[in-house]
Amino acid sequence: MSLLSALARLSLQSNSVAARFLHTSPVLCAEPLKKKKKLDPQIIKQREDRKKKKIEKQIRRLEKNARQLKPVEELEVPLDLIDNKAQRERKLTPLSAEELEQRALLKKQWAQYKHEQKVADFQIIDRLVQSQNKALEELRRESEELYQAAIAIDMTLLPVSVKGPVATPPIKGYISPDGDYIHQTMKWE
Amino acid sequence: MLRRLTLISAKQLTRSQSTSTPGAKEKWDLYAGILVERLPVISKTLNPLERQFQDLLSQVEYENSLKSDFELKHERDLVQKELIKQGKVQVDLDDSMAKQTAQDLKDAYKEELKKFQAAPRTTADDAANKLTSTDRCLEDTLYLVVKQKLGEQEHFVLPQGLRKDGESMRQTAERVLSERCGKDLQVLFYGNAPVGFHKYKYPSKQRSESVGAKIFFYRASVRAGNVNVEQQAIPYEWLPKETLNKKLNNAYAESINKFLI
Repeated sequence: MSLLSALARLSLQSNSVAARFLHTSPVLCAEPLKKKKKLDPQIIKQREDRKKKKIEKQIRRLEKNARQLKPVEELEVPLDLIDNKAQRERKLTPLSAEELEQRALLKKQWAQYKHEQKVADFQIIDRLVQSQNKALEELRRESEELYQAAIAIDMTLLPVSVKGPVATPPIKGYISPDGDYIHQTMKWE
Repeated sequence: MLRRLTLISAKQLTRSQSTSTPGAKEKWDLYAGILVERLPVISKTLNPLERQFQDLLSQVEYENSLKSDFELKHERDLVQKELIKQGKVQVDLDDSMAKQTAQDLKDAYKEELKKFQAAPRTTADDAANKLTSTDRCLEDTLYLVVKQKLGEQEHFVLPQGLRKDGESMRQTAERVLSERCGKDLQVLFYGNAPVGFHKYKYPSKQRSESVGAKIFFYRASVRAGNVNVEQQAIPYEWLPKETLNKKLNNAYAESINKFLI
């Protein structure tokens, strides 16, 4: 106990003393600088050259590849097809004049038919537009407000998905068999 | 914006003035009608000319084509067979067992195709002439008509209903359709604008409030479902264009025909 109190007294005394006479400063962890290694200028030059060469080589390689395009397989006719083209030609008897005449006539008839179809289509479109214009006109006569609501753009309509007519109707509950998937895409560096 | 507002209000003022000046302006009831169509499911059957031209095109296509690998293989098989027959080539039994000729393959393919049955282009509902089904007349567009009470009589018309205050015509059309045909019928409306118009006057006894009805038709196509109302069974039919005209009142059919395709 006595020792503790004595210590306490000492510390009380030293407080004022220490503030006056003791000075502290931050620790300086300094050491002498390392000596720079002096390199041979020739070695430096060599190193630089090596770097340069490396980059040049890369550039050369890129340039070479730039001229080389990725092949589009679909655009190239396979060589064996070119080779045996003669073998693949059909030996058909030439068409008779009568047959040719008949075909020409059919084509003319077809053109006429398609033309009539097109004209009929345009007439339908005209009729629809006319009908709509009349409806809108009548609506405007009743109320400007309703007319404005009617000509507003319907933002919910798009995107719309429409399935076109098919040759045979879908079979109900039919699960299409999965085929095999063969990955054929080539990889090009 | 403010300027535009004043402009509009000025326009409305002049409008209301101009409409009020004649004094006794006839009041018409506004109705929304809905043309619900079931679009064709399958393509049209080719007519004789179309069929003829299609045959011609495939013939030309064949003439201009080169032989395929399969055809070449078939030819090679034939030559081989001929050689074996003449005894010029020794037949390796094991090999020939494993080897399939092009003809064999073709037969196998045909057999496989035969197993698949495409659905017929006419349905059971076609045969039964079930007019309430959407699963019939797959080649044609079908239109929905319902029996509705107009005045004292019931008529077959496109579903229609009176506009309530505060509704746009499109909203009326949507509401009317779900009221008349139930929630099961899912449709796609083609825009906010009406596609057609029809008006008729009420009998002179009933002209106390309004003179007649103006119907604005909206086009919609069925996505799924059919007419289904639990509370009251309303008679309805899905009809192609020709039968539709016979079913409707003459003047009404004339107005409808203007916007049928």
